[in-house]
Amino acid sequence: MERKRALKTVLMLGFVFFFIVMMIRAIIGAYTLTPTSTAEDLKALPLWEIPLVYIWDYAQHGWVCLGFAFTVSGLFAEFIPQSFMLQYMSSRKPISYLVATFIAPVFCVCSCTMVPIFAGLIYAGGGIGPALTFLLAAPANNILADVITIQVLGWQIALADIVSAGISAVVIGVIVSKTPWGKKFEQQSKSNPKQVDSVDLVKQPIDERLWNALKFGGYLAKRIVPAFLVGLVAVSYFQAFFPSDLVKTYLTGAFGVVLAALLGGPLYTPTLIEVALGKALVDLGMKPGATVAWLMGQPYDVANSLSTSRIVGWKIVITYGVLAFVCAVLSGLLFGLIVGGL
Amino acid sequence: MKEIMVEVIGVDPPCSLCKQTEKNARNVASKLVEEGVKVEVTKLNITSKEIISKYGVLMSPAIAINGRVKIMGKVPDVGVIERLLREVL
Repeated sequence: MERKRALKTVLMLGFVFFFIVMMIRAIIGAYTLTPTSTAEDLKALPLWEIPLVYIWDYAQHGWVCLGFAFTVSGLFAEFIPQSFMLQYMSSRKPISYLVATFIAPVFCVCSCTMVPIFAGLIYAGGGIGPALTFLLAAPANNILADVITIQVLGWQIALADIVSAGISAVVIGVIVSKTPWGKKFEQQSKSNPKQVDSVDLVKQPIDERLWNALKFGGYLAKRIVPAFLVGLVAVSYFQAFFPSDLVKTYLTGAFGVVLAALLGGPLYTPTLIEVALGKALVDLGMKPGATVAWLMGQPYDVANSLSTSRIVGWKIVITYGVLAFVCAVLSGLLFGLIVGGL
Repeated sequence: MKEIMVEVIGVDPPCSLCKQTEKNARNVASKLVEEGVKVEVTKLNITSKEIISKYGVLMSPAIAINGRVKIMGKVPDVGVIERLLREVL
């Protein structure tokens, strides 16, 4: 029994290290993990072949990156001490904003963990501020989105997205918590403090924990990869046929930033597809400033807004939607000015 | 004979993780019921005010046994749940 456990642990660690080593090798070797097909390559193909070639191109380069992202997401979800983090986030101290921005979202890959934490923070008296910060930062700052954005769009854009999404999330959280309707909502939703000893998590042995981590990674892959493939089919046609003149005219300059921020929002796209579509737009001529604004459009997409409005009401959703749009535009402009790519 | 109360706490409508957790819990419960143990499994909504004031902020899905949260943020295997239930017997 003990030997079987040890063997299982070694096998699983081997699997994890395989992806870590492959990823490091790819980074050191500056080996591209994104599709290399250009619009010209794709256009020359028969219609039915375009998505196949594009996906094959993606799969050849992307499997290391995806495998790594899913494995690491699973590990983070399992090994980051959750109770500790939840306690900090609901502490009503300034540090709760920090935890809500940069630490908590790292392991929250799926919306069915985000919404409960959001609601939990509010009802447990953590305040609307940190709860909103968490909700806004999570789609941009989770480990899966980070790894993919870095690999597909490059570390500069990814870093700009992570930092500006984080700062915007805090700013928006603080502002909303100061509005009259934000304050009113906080007062209404305060509930009793919980019983202290009601949470008493079991400690599982390491082989079970690793298995949990890999299982969760697998679950994410199963949920995300099919949608991602559908997205890639769309992106492949898009890249082949969307007129690049249009992108070069409208998705550049200050106007491009505003337009990208507008388009990035209501389009309900999972982060990974948004990144892939962003890549296609960049290849067609979208400028870095507009790209950052495009990526930051996520928090105010329609589906997310609907589910949060059920908890906090429309007034707060509209407030943070407008603020998120303003932040996306400002970040895009700022990034464009800094790198000289407006 | 002791009675065990198992609460599966997840989102409503349930996502596939919560469904799997509940299914695993029910499988273990029916096994123990056959052995003559009284086990009751209920599914609760993690975003309801009652649950939050009882348990605080949780990660979905969670399992509470006799009023104490034992697992959260992951889907426990049947074996793990069985071990937890046998511990309180």
